[in-house]
This record gives sequence, structure tokens and C-alpha cells, in this order.
Amino acid sequence: MIVAERKPIEEIIEQVKDVRSLLVLGCNECVTVCEAGGKKEVGVLASALRMVFLQQAREVNVGERTLERQCDTEYLEELRDAIDQYDAVVSLACGVGIQFTAEKYPSKPVYPGVNTSFMGATQERGVWVERCQGCGGCILARTGAVCPVARCAKRLFNGPCGGSTDGKCEISKDVDCAWQLIINRLKALNRLQDYETLAPIKDWSTDRAGGPRKVVREDLRS
Amino acid sequence: MALQGKFETGEFAIIAEMEPPKGVNVAATVSHAKRVKDRVAAFLIPEMSHAVMRMSALGAAMLLERDGMETVMQMCCRDRNRLALQGDLLAAAACRVRNIAVVDGEDASYGDHHQARAVHDVSLLELLHVMQTLQSGRDMSGVELDGTPNFLVGSTTHAGAKGRSAEIEVEQMTQRAEAGARFFITPPLFDLELIRPFLRRVDRERTIILPTVLLLKSLGMARYIERNMPHIAIPPETIDRIQKAGDKARECVRIAVELTAGIKAEGFKGVVLSTLGWEHKLPDIVEGI
Repeated sequence: MIVAERKPIEEIIEQVKDVRSLLVLGCNECVTVCEAGGKKEVGVLASALRMVFLQQAREVNVGERTLERQCDTEYLEELRDAIDQYDAVVSLACGVGIQFTAEKYPSKPVYPGVNTSFMGATQERGVWVERCQGCGGCILARTGAVCPVARCAKRLFNGPCGGSTDGKCEISKDVDCAWQLIINRLKALNRLQDYETLAPIKDWSTDRAGGPRKVVREDLRS
Repeated sequence: MALQGKFETGEFAIIAEMEPPKGVNVAATVSHAKRVKDRVAAFLIPEMSHAVMRMSALGAAMLLERDGMETVMQMCCRDRNRLALQGDLLAAAACRVRNIAVVDGEDASYGDHHQARAVHDVSLLELLHVMQTLQSGRDMSGVELDGTPNFLVGSTTHAGAKGRSAEIEVEQMTQRAEAGARFFITPPLFDLELIRPFLRRVDRERTIILPTVLLLKSLGMARYIERNMPHIAIPPETIDRIQKAGDKARECVRIAVELTAGIKAEGFKGVVLSTLGWEHKLPDIVEGI
């Protein structure tokens, strides 16, 4: 899933300082799972904003809504009748949802209510970890399904650097060395010979380096 | 500092582009430069233009400076993060490479290393600010430098390019000037009329604009540019002239000379001559002006 973090409320207040009405718009997908932008967080942020506006003696109408997905124009269409009631939208979706909302309603200011962080998963309640950088050229088959692009600080492809100590990365003793994890995993799979094979130099043209990416499936296009 | 001196006195400054070699054989680069060194103010050293891997601009600039030839070193943010950019700026200053032109740099997909990962840790405008910071005696982290560099900083402007609005160009140039850029190099210009709307909006006394004169090599090259490089406009009469000429290469040199003379007559403070591999033609151009 896409993991996001709630923005500091001061930053959101600054973004909406001139509006007289705003819609706090949640998303029922990834940001609900990572507890940054689902229905519950919409309610919490809307209440907090109402209190702030009350303290500022400002009359601001704060609406609440949570869509099934903001990265889907069909669900965004559900806002069509309500959107004109508001000067602006604070979206608690990931950056994709925020931009799709803005593209759907071009004349409506849409502000981010979260910082979109990474593609990851819940490690334990309240802890989310990064697992994928969407580089467009998956090499997990070679690395025992542990990604050195997302998990090695230096994105190394042929074993650990000199900073790997006791299975930890040089950037922090709280960070596992991705290559130690890869070696452990290959050992467990009895495939340590994969580690001996030199990986080719990475093709980054499928990564973000070549500009915004697009996937086109001609067989699915109508 | 011949270039700075010319900018200050208003004497027309000719800057000749000198592409570093793809390899370690610097003989041709140095010998081409030496042939015209007394006729030009400085040599512009591109930073892997069109994202084609070559010797670094810093390396080539140091080679020419070592032989007493002044350079303008290009820098772009594509290939280095903020540590490397600052480190190379310090290295440049310590090796007498003081004139720096900060450029955008084409995406790696343009060049011969399509699989490269571009850096873009800082942007062009931010790099200009970084250079100001270094010149104040500190690095980006605020740590004091042991020895402060002093640069003559320039950048690019798309003034005169087809499909660009004069307002946006003026705004961008103002931002860059406020960040310390003192001279601005344009893309290849074949028609001075195209840059006039832009010139009307800038203070010519305070803003040093250096049009680029690109030496065409053939009719095919002119047609290719006209068809495939939408930001460069070549007037039909220029293409006609090359087509009708018996000695096309000679006609191309004549066109470059006439353009340069026109730029000088217009009151520009200098010109950049770009010969793209035909550096052996530089003497013919500079002597013809």
C-alpha cells in the first residue's frame, strides 16, 4: 500500500487561512489502513479545524466526506453535487488521490492533508515500513524477495558495503542491512549460489529518472 | 580575467565553445583552442551536452587554464548531488576556473547512456544560490570554508527561442540575476528579429546577453534542425543560401561570420560560437568578424 503521514495541523491551517468553507476529503484505501487519511482521520482533522476556526472567531463551514478511492475518477464523480458548496478541499488521500481530485475539479483548490511517504506495509500497529520504490525493473527473483533498491541505503546490487556491521546498516543500528537479509534468505532457500552471480548494472530508465511513467495495455484499451 | 574585463569595458567578447574529448586524447581540443586563443576572450566548456558521456567540463577547463587559456565551465545538476557540486566548484576555483555557466542539462534519455539515473538533488536556480553561499565563505550546511571562491557566474536564457514567451524568459532571467548570474547565453540564434521582443523588456546595460551562433555544416544539418529542433528557427532564406552555394561549408562559415557581425552591431556584449566538432573552422570565423 501507499503509506502516508498526517501533516502538522499548523501547515494545513496555513494552507486554508483564506477559505470560508472547506471539505475534508478522506480515502477508504491505503491511507485508511495506515491511519493517516481514512474516515476516522477525516473526523479528527475536521473537529480540530473547527476548534481552530472558533478560536480565530472565523465562520468556516467544514464538511466531511470519505470516498472509496480518490485515485479513481468514478468515485470522484460522487462529489459532483457537493463540491460547489466548498471553497477548497483538504484531501487526506495520497499524492495520487490529491492530484486526481484536482484534475477532476479543475477550478477547486485542493490542498494536501498528508505527506505521502512510500510503498510499504504495516510491520506492527503504528509502525509502517518501506518495501518498494517502484523502479520498474523488479529483481526480487535474484535477491530472495528482499529489495536492495528500497532497503539498501546505497541501492547496492552485489552484496553489502563496508558499512554493514552485525547485520545492521551504517546509517543506523535500527536499520537492517538489506544484503544481510538477502544472504540469510538465500541461505534458507539453499540458493546461496545466486549471491555469487554478478548482477548487471541497473537500468534506471524504467525508474523515475526518465520522467513521469505510464503503463499502457493495448489489449485492455477500449 | 579577460572575460570579466571585457564585460566591464564593453569590448565585444568572443567565447568559443570547446567540447571535451570522449577519451583522454586532448591533443585536438588543446590545439584547436591554441589556434584562436588570442582572438577569443574565453572557451566555453560544455558539461556533457546532450547527455553524451565525455571528459568532464572541469577536467577540460583545467587543461586549458593550465595552458593559460581562460574558460567558462558549464555545470548542470543532472549528474551530481549537492556534495559533489560544491566539491567541484571548490576544485574549479582552486584551479583558476572562475567563470561558471550554470545550465539545465538534457535528460539522460537524450544521450548515449539511456539507463543512467539522473540526480537533480538541487535545481539550477538553487545551484546559483549555492554559489552565492560558497562565495560568502560557507558551504550549504553553514560550515566555514578554508579559502573562499570567487566566481563570475552566468546561466542560460531561452530568449530568441521559438515557442517561448518573452514574459517568462524575463521573469526567469530576473530570478537568476538575483541569484548572482551576470551573463546569459541564448540557444542558437539565426534570426535577430526573434530576440527583439525580449530585448525590449530588459536593461541591456545591466544584463549581459550572449547570443549563440551555431556553425551549420551542411544543408542536411540546417534542414534537420528546422524540422526536428522546434526551439531553433532557421529562416528559409538561410537554408536557400546554403542550397544554392557551390561550396556549402564555406557558405556556412560566411553565415556564421555575418550573424556574429550582426550581433556585434546590435550592441551585444559578446557572442558564443558553437562549432560542434568543426573547431578547425574557428579561425575562419573569428578572423572574418
